[in-house]
Amino acid sequence: MHSYAQKEQSLCEVTVRGVRPERFMVGQKVQDIDSTQLTRFRYSTLADFLQFQSPVAFKSYGPGQATSIAFRGTSANHTAVLWNGININAPSLGQSDFSTIPLAGFDQMSIQYGAAASCVGTDAVGGSIQLRSVPEFRNTGLQLLTAIRAETSENYSAQIGFRFNRSLSDYWKFSGKTMLYGSVFNNHFSAEPRRNRQGDTYSFEPTQTTQKGIVQDLYWQHYKGNLLTLNIWLTDNNLTIQPQQPPLQEVTRTQAYRVLGSYQLGKTLIRTGFIRDLIDYSKGENAVPSHTQIDRFILRTEHDFSWIRDCEKGTNLKVGAEVVHYNALVDGYGNEVIRENRADFYALLRHQFSAKFSTSLNLRQALVTRFSPPFTPSAGVEYTAMTFKNAKIILNGNASLSYRVPTLNERYWVNLGNPDLRPEKGFNKEVGISWKQRLTSNNQMQLTINGFHNLIDDWTYWNPDRNYRVENLQQVLSKGIEISWNLKAQWAKTQFDALLNYGLTHSSQQKTYGPYTQDFIGKQLIYVPRHALGSTISATRGKASLTIQQQFNSKRYVTFDHSGRPFAPYYLLNAILNYQIHKRNFRTDIAIQGSNLTNTVYPNLKKNAMPLRTVSLNVVLYFQSKKQSNES
Amino acid sequence: MNRNSLLFASVFVIGFSACSTSEPEPAQPYDNGVLVINAGNFLDNNGSISLLQRNSTTGSYDIFQKENSRSLAGGLSGYAEVNDKGVILVDNSTAGKDLIEIVNARTFKSVATIPSTDIENPRAVVKASDTKAYVTCWDATGDYSNFYKNPGYVAVIDATTNKLSKKIPVQNGAETIIVVGNEAFVGNTGSGKTQVSVIDITTDAVKQQVEVGRNPHIIGLDANNKLWLYAGSELVKFNPQTKTAETRLKITSSNAAKSPSSFILSADKKTIYYTYSFYDPADDYKQKGETYSFSIDATVIAADKPFINRLFSGGLGVDPQTGIIYAGLVPSFKQAGYVIRYQSNGTLVDSVKAEIAPSQFFFKN
Repeated sequence: MHSYAQKEQSLCEVTVRGVRPERFMVGQKVQDIDSTQLTRFRYSTLADFLQFQSPVAFKSYGPGQATSIAFRGTSANHTAVLWNGININAPSLGQSDFSTIPLAGFDQMSIQYGAAASCVGTDAVGGSIQLRSVPEFRNTGLQLLTAIRAETSENYSAQIGFRFNRSLSDYWKFSGKTMLYGSVFNNHFSAEPRRNRQGDTYSFEPTQTTQKGIVQDLYWQHYKGNLLTLNIWLTDNNLTIQPQQPPLQEVTRTQAYRVLGSYQLGKTLIRTGFIRDLIDYSKGENAVPSHTQIDRFILRTEHDFSWIRDCEKGTNLKVGAEVVHYNALVDGYGNEVIRENRADFYALLRHQFSAKFSTSLNLRQALVTRFSPPFTPSAGVEYTAMTFKNAKIILNGNASLSYRVPTLNERYWVNLGNPDLRPEKGFNKEVGISWKQRLTSNNQMQLTINGFHNLIDDWTYWNPDRNYRVENLQQVLSKGIEISWNLKAQWAKTQFDALLNYGLTHSSQQKTYGPYTQDFIGKQLIYVPRHALGSTISATRGKASLTIQQQFNSKRYVTFDHSGRPFAPYYLLNAILNYQIHKRNFRTDIAIQGSNLTNTVYPNLKKNAMPLRTVSLNVVLYFQSKKQSNES
Repeated sequence: MNRNSLLFASVFVIGFSACSTSEPEPAQPYDNGVLVINAGNFLDNNGSISLLQRNSTTGSYDIFQKENSRSLAGGLSGYAEVNDKGVILVDNSTAGKDLIEIVNARTFKSVATIPSTDIENPRAVVKASDTKAYVTCWDATGDYSNFYKNPGYVAVIDATTNKLSKKIPVQNGAETIIVVGNEAFVGNTGSGKTQVSVIDITTDAVKQQVEVGRNPHIIGLDANNKLWLYAGSELVKFNPQTKTAETRLKITSSNAAKSPSSFILSADKKTIYYTYSFYDPADDYKQKGETYSFSIDATVIAADKPFINRLFSGGLGVDPQTGIIYAGLVPSFKQAGYVIRYQSNGTLVDSVKAEIAPSQFFFKN
């Protein structure tokens, strides 16, 4: 299955310029997130939003605190997070803190399930999250946006931005987006500990997080289609634990500067970028923070070849190379700047025999200073087995090898890092079946079932037996079934959009790696729920809409041997009621949002309580200089 | 318990005490056995206490949770009893969230909680008298460049009111503490301080500071009423009356990289056991070591012949009733550890599953 995309594009349409890498992930599950949802939850962080959209699990240290992903039962550094095709995981940790990525920072998002190293590169072992900025050349003129949010937990957010599009000459169009956002999360819930139904009591950790950022996207498009792009995204996230008591404070500041310049010249893409990741951690008053600064200089070039026989038959080939230079200045690595170069060479081939039958074969070889990543091919197939008047049944399969370049911490941390680590190697196989049913011209239903089997060998482990030196010790098998059901339907003037997700994940150790590890074999990995259910249901009628988000996670073990008390299952319910008011060139969206409406008490990794019920008022004011904005 | 059963219980108790006052008190679940203090994993805040019976290889786990339907909200750094009250030191990974839980030592039901505002980084607890406990605390710590940035203190816990009654300032990194007669001796860890603080128990004030050596770690009082310390990389036999060091001995070993820890006196107080280990750079920094012993009368401490040819990172304890040695085994901080028991001659007895990081032992009747 390629995607939940409402419109299936023909080969001719997609091959005009560069083909998106997801096109080559034949046989894999790629879920495009509805842009309406991105707009509606514009104040959310990626962590808060994604858990309702897909059966991925998150491991959070608390609201506004480090939150990492466990995608299909893998660990935090097995998910590639890509922004405009570039991996933005922090190189020191090999993962992204999803609490520091707000939805306001990008325009489109896709979730790609399963290993995709050949298309994406390192880290895409469990899956990848693709964030994209896209030009808007349809609306001319200027659109302004001002948004504020106030939540009962004393969390406040504000956003201001504009989009514009104008013709510079007969040959060039100029479009862009500027967005400034800021939030203060005070997370005031309760001074007293709260007890859940299972009798676990959790208290609240006093924290404050401030988040601010700037997005600047500029696009110059030539009438022949060539596109010059500049994307800038600066983020600044400051977490303070014990904000009211300076002697006890712990402050973690995470900043990122991300700049990309791209030129799409016909079927050739040249992309150059600079990313700086900064982490400063300090404890107590007037402390000198420990400092991590990692710079990346990126140069990528790609060319798309195509041999199209007709709009249903043909071959696409993307050949590319990327070179990245790393400069890492990290206190834990000693006083030296660690420098390394990485190169990736890839060839992505997709052949479509007919509208019903597509295959892909993708190859990637990465090269890293002082390290040898494996060659990672993948192959996929997608076949429409049955076609009815308004329905079809599609079968798909994919097999991919994956790898992970160990993080800089794992390789360079003084004494504990291990420069001799081998790459983690994954072998992911999956099959799926989709039933797509068209209801009316704009309405459809889709049911998809996927099964996966992902064996990851040489999984690294900070070994307590060796004073926490990192070693390639573990072998993990993650397998499971995912069911997703998507509906777009209209009934009695009300438009319904529903997305239901269920994931059954069993992820466990396969081999012993030392004394006292034998009883881990076959046991579910820590913090990975066996059952995860998520749903987003919207009903829109006229100018009003109601969206309900639900999530259920089954119990999560916190120890390898399942000793002690696991975290209890929990259920979350959010609702957002939105009303639009139009007046001339203005539109106002007023929303009341309730989060955790059942007031569920559930813990984070530190065994502190996660947010209780809150209610917020969200107001967004749009101004459109010419015609009505398309945003909703 | 519903109202009827409560009524029934009170009638029963009144009737019982009225009719037969001379009967012994009914036995309570935690009257006997050995408490294992499981430190937990630091950021997981999941310390717990298990109960092992001396003659059984199965334990009761997380007994505080079991009796109170809530868990201890942090790692555990110590446990002591003052008469019938148990004092549990709870060290949360977040500064400002540490606590002291006071329980009925016989039922483990919660009696009181000393709040975070009163306590920061509690490290060790000792019974100071029949009415009070002393708790050594680091106070707030700094980052790695100046971790023990604040002077430590000894919190005086009034076991009658279950409240903090006083904080006695002592040296930075205050940790080990022992009561000898009317004095408490306070050692320290990590901060580099070299003096032991001597507290007068009757006045709850530091009366003297005695130079012993860098980072004095108090081991215990031997059969001759001499205090043993490990300070300045030496074993110091110290006279608590005259406050002078009588002998100073270095551990002699063929491996200079090894360092000792987990010192504990035998039941007869004539032998000291300790673990001795190092991280072997030639073998990917694997931790290697053994458990040794020496006599309190020794003139040379040679770590050449292991007492038990095994290393325990979780701490050692000795049962004063039986002389059995309890050794905590911590395979990792993400799984249950084990308590391995040895006879006083070093012969293996058995192994019992505990909880995460069994670190200290408290021997009941």
